[in-house]
Amino acid sequence: MGRLLANPKALTALAALAILFVIGLAGGALGNEFGGGFLGSPLTIIELKAEPLTAKPLIGGFSITNTMLTAWIAIAVLALVSYLGTRRMTEVPGRLQGLLEAVIEGFLGIAESVAGPGKARRFFPLFMTIFLFVLTSNWLGILPGFGTIGRFEPASDFIHHKEDAAEAAGKRFDPAALKMHVFEGESAIAYLPFGSVDAVITAEEYERGELEEGKRAGVIIPFLRSANTDINTPLALALIAMVMVHYWGLSALGLGHVGKFLNFKQGPIGLFVGLLEGVSELSRVISFTFRLFGNIFAGEVLLIAMAFLIPLVGLVPFLGLELFVGFIQAFIFAMLTLVFAATATISHGGDHH
Amino acid sequence: MEALGITIPGVFSQVVSFLILFGVLYALLYKPVLRMLDRRSAKIREGLEAAENARREAAESRADMERQLDDARAEGQAMIAQAREVADRFREEELAKAKTEIDAQRERAEADIQRERDAAIQDLRQEFAGLAISAAEKVARRSMDEEAHRELIEEFLREAPGSGNGRR
Repeated sequence: MGRLLANPKALTALAALAILFVIGLAGGALGNEFGGGFLGSPLTIIELKAEPLTAKPLIGGFSITNTMLTAWIAIAVLALVSYLGTRRMTEVPGRLQGLLEAVIEGFLGIAESVAGPGKARRFFPLFMTIFLFVLTSNWLGILPGFGTIGRFEPASDFIHHKEDAAEAAGKRFDPAALKMHVFEGESAIAYLPFGSVDAVITAEEYERGELEEGKRAGVIIPFLRSANTDINTPLALALIAMVMVHYWGLSALGLGHVGKFLNFKQGPIGLFVGLLEGVSELSRVISFTFRLFGNIFAGEVLLIAMAFLIPLVGLVPFLGLELFVGFIQAFIFAMLTLVFAATATISHGGDHH
Repeated sequence: MEALGITIPGVFSQVVSFLILFGVLYALLYKPVLRMLDRRSAKIREGLEAAENARREAAESRADMERQLDDARAEGQAMIAQAREVADRFREEELAKAKTEIDAQRERAEADIQRERDAAIQDLRQEFAGLAISAAEKVARRSMDEEAHRELIEEFLREAPGSGNGRR
């Protein structure tokens, strides 16, 4: 520590960080309570569901959501990197080709250690694709601009949607609990400006006509939102993974695979155990889905909250945390798929006794 | 389901997106990279095998060379031994030949000496006979003529013991 303070560069960096922290603290939502708040903006309206990019559904009630767009961006990024890396394959690899080769060789090694050399080649493409897609989506979601810039949805539309949703769920709509933001100007693209911590209005206040003249109330529908913060994405991945696992199980063991779940050979206990196995297979889809969705959604909320409380530097350690979580979740999803595939293709030892 | 935002189009869209990504990555990434990795590992294996072969061949040729060297050495030794033997025999032969020659020469010389001596003894005897005659002439000058005398002495000498081959 003493050596760190003796180094003038480190000392300058540390001082700058401290100053930024103080500015952030004073300018954020915390400082707003004491007359600061010049940097902060109100807490983003956190939506569990993915939001449509267009106000009206495009074709037959189907609308493109921001998470679909992000998934496509992730796909485009991966395709571009793959194309650039493998465009001119050479025996002595360049940097990008070397990186891709190292990643693929490493993951092929993992697949071989889990599933054995023969099956590894079979499972590898799905295993690798799940990892790359989840990782890219998670890491893209950390970039600035995600969840903060979007189209403006007027208050009337927003309240209307909420009323419909509450009615569909059989709940009472509470206008006092529904918060919206207050914006200036008429731009179709909206974002939360500096020093707007107090620019919040509830639906109740809006309907009473408390909105100031020349301003408009509404919410931001972000253009970009991390793909895995929409439960549809992890669910789609989990379904594909489990369908493939059972397809591999069936093609490797035939009816023996079905016999794991409909076991008539060992009497009622066998049948019961088989049914339990079946239930656990189904629960895997759910655990797959909610593990990934929960981690990434929570990470997103954490980043929003920290940016709200301490702008500028409050976010920084949690960005590192989110990088780590994003990687770990991608790895876990891919690894579990691989392990389930490996176990599904091995027949139960008891069948042969 | 609805509260969480699970929608059929949402799931369907993401499934399709994922399958597209799967296809794209399979064609653009996994296939070329795995092919390259396989090719490289095959090449390395070939290289290692070639090196192993070269090493074995080198060892073999080295053993071969050593064997040839040993053969050559042994052959050289044998040749030297043979040459020495030939030289020895030649020397013995020459020595024996020289010895016999020397012996022959000596024998010839001895024979010569013997002959000379015999001749000398013969001469001496004749001389001695002459002297004896002249001595006897002086003693009995008038009693006998010289011719009768000589015959008498010749007869005497022939009958005398130790005459003939000149050796005692």
